[in-house]
Amino acid sequence: MSKNSDKQITSKELMHQLWRYKRGSITRREFLGVTGLGMATAVLGTAIPSLIPQKSWASELGDRLVFSTWPNYWNQANLDEFTADTGVNIQVNAFGSNEEMLAKLQAGGTGWDVFVPTNYTISNYVELDLIQELDLSRIPNYDASANNPKFAGPAMVNGKVYCVPKNWGTTGFIVNSNKITSGPKSWKDFFDVTKGEGSGHTIVHDYQLTTIGAALCALGHSFNSIDPNELAEAEAVLIDAKPHLFAITSDYQPGMRSGDAWMSICWNGDATQLHNDLPEMQYVIASDGGEIWTDFYAIPVGAPHLDAAYAFLDYMQDPAVQARDAEAHGYAPTDSRAIALQPEALATDPILHPAEELMNGLEFGAAQTLTDPNRAELIARFKSA
Amino acid sequence: MAIREHVRLSGWRTAALLAPATLWFLIMLIMPLIVILIFSFGERAAVGGYGGGFTFEQYANLPARLKAFQNTLTYAPLGTLMSLVVAYPLAYFLALKVDRRFKLFLLVLVVVPFWTSLLIRTYAWIYILGGRGIPAILEWVGIEGVRLINTPTAVLIGIVYGYLPLMVFPIYVSLEKLDKRLLEASSDLGGSPVKTFLQITLPLSMPGIATGCMLVFILLMGEFLIPAFLGGGKVFFIGNAMVDLFLQSRNWPFGSAVAVSLVVIMLITVSIYMRLAMRNKTGADQSLM
Repeated sequence: MSKNSDKQITSKELMHQLWRYKRGSITRREFLGVTGLGMATAVLGTAIPSLIPQKSWASELGDRLVFSTWPNYWNQANLDEFTADTGVNIQVNAFGSNEEMLAKLQAGGTGWDVFVPTNYTISNYVELDLIQELDLSRIPNYDASANNPKFAGPAMVNGKVYCVPKNWGTTGFIVNSNKITSGPKSWKDFFDVTKGEGSGHTIVHDYQLTTIGAALCALGHSFNSIDPNELAEAEAVLIDAKPHLFAITSDYQPGMRSGDAWMSICWNGDATQLHNDLPEMQYVIASDGGEIWTDFYAIPVGAPHLDAAYAFLDYMQDPAVQARDAEAHGYAPTDSRAIALQPEALATDPILHPAEELMNGLEFGAAQTLTDPNRAELIARFKSA
Repeated sequence: MAIREHVRLSGWRTAALLAPATLWFLIMLIMPLIVILIFSFGERAAVGGYGGGFTFEQYANLPARLKAFQNTLTYAPLGTLMSLVVAYPLAYFLALKVDRRFKLFLLVLVVVPFWTSLLIRTYAWIYILGGRGIPAILEWVGIEGVRLINTPTAVLIGIVYGYLPLMVFPIYVSLEKLDKRLLEASSDLGGSPVKTFLQITLPLSMPGIATGCMLVFILLMGEFLIPAFLGGGKVFFIGNAMVDLFLQSRNWPFGSAVAVSLVVIMLITVSIYMRLAMRNKTGADQSLM
């Protein structure tokens, strides 16, 4: 009987996790049906033991840490090792979007100790007094000199360091080269192909940052523009393309894999997964711009297990741990020491580590791009048009 | 004296028995509705959420979601009607035609899908309706170029699939209660099967139809999962607009205004519907509504 009720709670919790994704439905690590279930199970696997009160045996770190991150974005072996070393159980929460994380932290009382924000949210968090300045002396494994300042830069706000970097990547598009033969190279090509040979088979994200950004780049404007005139032009591009779209969704892997969709806005980690399984899937960094991003580890204000949080950050900055982390999700570490430890195939993968000159036109998302109400309303109008 | 004491006691007892339900309604229904109402007259805060204030701006902005309202008001009634058309023969078969021995088993089969979450089942339909599912089979038999996934048709298929049991059971219950002697009497008096169905079976199952339609229609008005999955974000319901407003653009005041409007639309449609359903006296007595 008790076994039975355990099982019920488990499936309920699982659904809860799944619902969260689908409602947010926007992350770059949006999961596929099956892998997503695996992820949610992993969440449970880590969440349940930590809910059982246990005697702390290792140190003054306590026995618990609450870690909020993205789906499919950690290596369970690392978390298990940390627990074995320190006695700190880790409860993992997976989130679908930066907006959702921001909403939770704004509402307060999250109980989070460590979370994973993307570059463009950090200054908002600082402004709203939601994250702590880090004491880098407590994170000796972090080596600023090993991190390309281009990626680590957004961690610094007003001369203070608020985060340490995790992984970085790009946002471009993926093309099924068996179906689309014209070889689109830019966002302008992307929208031309959408209305031409790819009509009915293109996916854009259900995410304002990337979808509006793509349309802006196609027009020759900045990915981050919040200029009302430029946004109006971008809206026209999107509305014009809408009848030709296969879908507006950030869960684009199923459509690409089934052959229903031939082209999609794509984050490079997904691109690696698709390309490895189906070689005809080609990832393109658009010549007219796009996004480059870094994810970080940060500690929210009021983190209940601060010592454990610092210990965890330090552990996760260990190059070997970083390399193992990347092995699980495929995204590139920012730390050159970790890249040196990666298998040759990953460390030199052109999708994960594109040539420098290809990335010249890419921009980091800006804080106001995320919060601009006009962009939010534009994407909603586009979807309901 | 004793009687008065008894009355007072029973008054207390009634109050005590009503308290949990009253509290439930106050805390879970009335309070959130009041919060939504207050939010709907406010402004979006700079970084999203609710920023206070008093304005009618959100309501003035409602036409921006006209298409979503139109879609919902088209596909919710259409989906209800299609569910009814599919569910009625099934319920009729289960209630009147099936051998007693198999009845329970078949009824359980109708419920079994409910044991798995609608989310998972709808996700499965993405593959069934996708290029490698039904269209591939159709291509194999020579019908080419059929596109199902991410069309209104796919959404309607998903709706009928997802809501079928809600429609089947009320109709089944009203048909099950049906006095079989009436059917015999009708045929004894020379009524054809069609006439018997139209004059006896159908009117007597109206309460079940009314209840089933109401259940399905009300839920469909707030539906967002099926259009999001099977419509590919292109068949946009008002439920999807609200999810977006609360979770993505975090424009709570506008989201609240949309929610309040939906409640008003529901109240109007449901009261018209009930008035129509109640015209039939038996309907009023027997229907759950």
